[in-house]
Amino acid sequence: MDQETKRGLTLIAPPLLYALALLAGPLLAIFLFSFWTQDYLTIDRTPTLANYAEALTDPIYRTIMLRSLWISGAVTIATVVLAFPVAYYVSFRVAPSRKSLWLFLITIPFWTSYLLRIFLWKVILGYNGVINSLLEPINPWIVALGQRLGLEWDGLAAPLYSPEAVIITLSHAFAPFAILPIFVALEKIDRNLLEAARDLGENAVTTFFRVTLPLAMPGVVAALLIVFIPTVGDYVTPALVGGPNGLMIANMIQTQFLGLNNAPMGATLAVVAMVLVTIIALATVALARRLSGGR
Amino acid sequence: MLRVYVIAFLAFLYAPIVLLPLFAFNDSTVIAFPLSGVTTKWFAELWTNKELHKALGNSLFVAGISSVLAVVLGLAAARANVRYRFPGKAAALGLIMLPLVLPEIIVATSLLVVAVRFFGWNLSLWTVIAAHVLICTPFAIAILNASFQSLDPSMEEASIDLGETRLSTFRLVTLPLVMPGIVAALLISFTISLDEFIIAFFLTGSDPTLPVYIWSLLRFPRLIPVVMALGTILVIISILMLTFAEWNRRRGLARAGVKDTGGFL
Amino acid sequence: MTEPLIRLQGIQKYYGDYHALRGVDLDIRAGEFFSLLGPSGCGKTTLLRVIAGFEGVTEGTVMIGGTDMTRLSPNRRPTNMVFQSYAIFPHLTVAQNVGFGLRKRSDLNRQAKDTLVDDALDMVGLDGYGKRAAHALSGGQRQRVALARALVLRPKVLLLDEPLSALDRKMREQMQVELIRLQRQVGITFILVTHDQEEALVMSDRIAVMFEGEIAQLAEAEALYRRPVSRRVAEFIGVMNFLPATVDGDVVDAAGLGKMVVQDLQSTATTAGDPMVGFRPETATLLFPGQQTEGRVAEGRVVEVVYYGDMTYYDVTLDGAEKPVRISMRNVFGRPVLDIGTQARLAWSPGAITLFR
Repeated sequence: MDQETKRGLTLIAPPLLYALALLAGPLLAIFLFSFWTQDYLTIDRTPTLANYAEALTDPIYRTIMLRSLWISGAVTIATVVLAFPVAYYVSFRVAPSRKSLWLFLITIPFWTSYLLRIFLWKVILGYNGVINSLLEPINPWIVALGQRLGLEWDGLAAPLYSPEAVIITLSHAFAPFAILPIFVALEKIDRNLLEAARDLGENAVTTFFRVTLPLAMPGVVAALLIVFIPTVGDYVTPALVGGPNGLMIANMIQTQFLGLNNAPMGATLAVVAMVLVTIIALATVALARRLSGGR
Repeated sequence: MLRVYVIAFLAFLYAPIVLLPLFAFNDSTVIAFPLSGVTTKWFAELWTNKELHKALGNSLFVAGISSVLAVVLGLAAARANVRYRFPGKAAALGLIMLPLVLPEIIVATSLLVVAVRFFGWNLSLWTVIAAHVLICTPFAIAILNASFQSLDPSMEEASIDLGETRLSTFRLVTLPLVMPGIVAALLISFTISLDEFIIAFFLTGSDPTLPVYIWSLLRFPRLIPVVMALGTILVIISILMLTFAEWNRRRGLARAGVKDTGGFL
Repeated sequence: MTEPLIRLQGIQKYYGDYHALRGVDLDIRAGEFFSLLGPSGCGKTTLLRVIAGFEGVTEGTVMIGGTDMTRLSPNRRPTNMVFQSYAIFPHLTVAQNVGFGLRKRSDLNRQAKDTLVDDALDMVGLDGYGKRAAHALSGGQRQRVALARALVLRPKVLLLDEPLSALDRKMREQMQVELIRLQRQVGITFILVTHDQEEALVMSDRIAVMFEGEIAQLAEAEALYRRPVSRRVAEFIGVMNFLPATVDGDVVDAAGLGKMVVQDLQSTATTAGDPMVGFRPETATLLFPGQQTEGRVAEGRVVEVVYYGDMTYYDVTLDGAEKPVRISMRNVFGRPVLDIGTQARLAWSPGAITLFR
C-alpha cells in the first residue's frame, strides 16, 4: 500500500466508522426489524414477511403511503415550477454584483425555525387565521353573487387541515432547495450560446426552449430530487396543518414507534417508503436522461 | 412581467416571517386579525420562563458540541476526498453523505431502534448529539470540499519545501487558508442542529431541546404569543448569523484572490 | 572532473501501472544552469519533484552533495522550489512569505532575519514591497517573491517548475534574462523544467531532453540544436527540414539535393523510419537572380511566402522532392521578397546536414 492510500484511509476512517456505526448499522437494524413481529411487549424474532403483506394490503397503510407520494409529487412539481422563473430572474436579469444579495434575500426566511415557519402557516390558513380574516368582509359578496347566479356558494375559506394545506406549506418550506440548484445550472450556461442561438435565427422563446431549458435540466432534476426525497418523509407539516386527511407516512411511522409501540411495523413502513422513494428517484433520473437525448 | 412575479414570490416567501413580529407585539392571545394593540409582555414572559431557558441551554449545548464534532469529521473526510485516492473512496463518501438524501424520520427511527432496543441506552442529549453529528457532517463536508478544492496543493508543498513539517504546515498554511470554510461549516452545522426537531423529538430523554419545547408549547393556545416573541428573537439572531456568514465568505474570497461569483452556500 | 552536486542513478517511478520514469541516470554539476526539456507528460516535472523529495522513487538513488537523500523528506533537503503556480501564501505579507523558511532558524535573531528578507527582496527587485499583502501582487511580482523566498535559504539547488509559463511573452523574455543574471550572481545550481525549447536554449548551460520517462539527449544548448541524436529530438528542438534519402556505403542520395558523402555531413542520428537527411531553415540560402555561390546548388520552385518583417519564410519544393522545405531569409536591405511560383536556386552545404538512419 503506498503512502497516499494510507493517508487517505487514515483520514477517512473516523467519519467512515462513525457513519458505519450510527447510520449503516441502524439502517440494517431497521431492515432486520421489518422481518420481525411485535407480540405485546416482546418481539418475536422469527423472520416473516407478515409486516410487508400487511403494509401493502391494509387499506390504512396503502392510503397513507399513496397519499404521501402524491402530496410529495404535487409539492415537488409546484415548487420546481414556481422556483424556475425566480432562479432564471436572478441568473439572467440581476446584475452579477447583486446576485449574492438576491440569494441572501431568498435564503433568509429559511434560516428561521422550521417548526415556527410551519406553525405560522397554520396561523395564516387557520379558521381564525390571516386569510380567513381577510376573506371575511368579501365572503358575503361572494355568497350574494352565487345566489344571483343560482349557485350555492359558501364563500371562500383557507384550506387548513387538508392535503392542500400540506402542499402549500411544504412548497414554501422547500422553495430555496429548488431555486438554488436551478440557479447554479443556469449560471453555468455560457451566455455566448444564447447569442449563438439568436444569431442562428431563433427568437427569444425558441432559444429558451431549445438552448436554455435543456442546459438547465441537470439543475431541474437535482431540484426535483432534493424536494421530493425529504418531503415524502416530512413529519411536522402534516402533523400541524394536515388534519386527519392530510397525514403522511412519517406520522404513521412515528405512531407505530412511539404510540402503538409496534416497532417492527414502523420499521417495515420505513423500509417500504425508502424503497419507493429510491425507485421514483431513479426513474426520474432515467426519464430525464432519456428526454435530454441519452447523454 | 418576470419582475412582478419574482416580487410576488418573495412576498410568498416572507409572508410567515412578517407575521412573527406582528403577533409578538399584539396584545391578544388570539392569533388573528384585526390586531388589538401593542404590548411587550410576551417578551417579558420569555425572560421569566425557566423551562424555556433550560430548553435553550440544552439546544445550545447540543448544537455547540454537534457542530464542532461534525466539522472535525468533515475536515477529515473533505481532505481525504480532495487530496487522496484510495480504494472504496466513492462508497465510503456515499455512505457518509447519505443523510443528505435520507428523510430525517428514517435516521431518527433507526437510531432509536438501535439505541433503545439493541444497546438499551438511556435517551439523553448525547443521543441527540450523536444523531446531529451524523446529519451535520455531510453539510460540513460539502462546504469544506470547496475550501480544500480551492487550496492550491503547492501551497502545502511550498511550506514543506521551506523546512516546515507536515504538522506545522497544517497549522501555518492549511488551517488559515481553509478557516473561512471551517467557520461557514460551523455556522451551518450549528444552525441545522439548533433547528432540528424530529430527530431530537425521537431521541431526547427528559431534557427537551428548543424545538421540542416549542412543539410542546404549540398545544397551548395561551402560550402561542410567547412562541411568536421567541420566534422574532430567533429570526433576528438568524439574520445576524447569516450576515456574518456572508461577510466571512467574502473575506475568504478576497483572501484567496478570487472574484466574487455570488454563490451563497 | 569534480564530484557532481546531484547524482541520480537508475531512477524508476511507477504510478500504479503507469511507468513515469524509466531508468534515469543524470549528473548535475555545482553552479550550472540545467534544464529538463520535453513535451507534457514526459516525466520532467516528476523528475524535478523526485529531486525535491515530493515524489518517492520506485527504484534508484538520489544523491545530493555526496549524500544519499532518496528517502529524505523535502523539508530536510538542501533544495528549494519555485512552483509553477508560485504558491505565494495569500494570508501573509510579502515579507512574511519570503521569511517563511527562516522561522526555524534559531541561530538568527529577528533583526538578522529581517535583514536577510530585505536583501532577498532587493535581489529580485522588490525592495520596499515587504509590507504588501501577497494576494494583491501581479503575476511577475509573485514570481519574484517565490524566487526570493527560495533563495533566502541559500539552498544548494534551486528547482524551477515551469516558472515562466504563466507570464505574457514580454514579461517572460524579461524574466529569462533576469533569471540568468540571478543565477550568475548567487552561483547556486538552477534546475529548470520547461516545455519551451527556446526558453531552454536561451537560459541553460546544459539541457536534458526527455521523452516518455527517459532522457533522449543530454547536451549543451548548441550541440543539442546542431547535432540532435535522433529524429524525435530534432523535431522537438526548432524546425528541421527532412528529405527522404538512400544510403549506399558512404554515399547518401537525398531527394532534391543529390549525392553527398557521409564524412562531409555535420552529424549522424537515429530514426525509427526510413533514412532521411535534415537541415535547419537558416542553414540554406535562396539565391537571387545573378547571385553566385561557392557551395552546392539545388533547383526548386517557391510555393509559399510568409513575410514576418525582419524575416521571410519560403516554402520551396525542390526538383525531385515531394514535400517542400522551409527556408528562412533575413530581409537585409536591398534584398527583394520572391513571389510564389518563382523558380529559385537553393545554396546548401553538406556540413549543415544531419543524416537520420
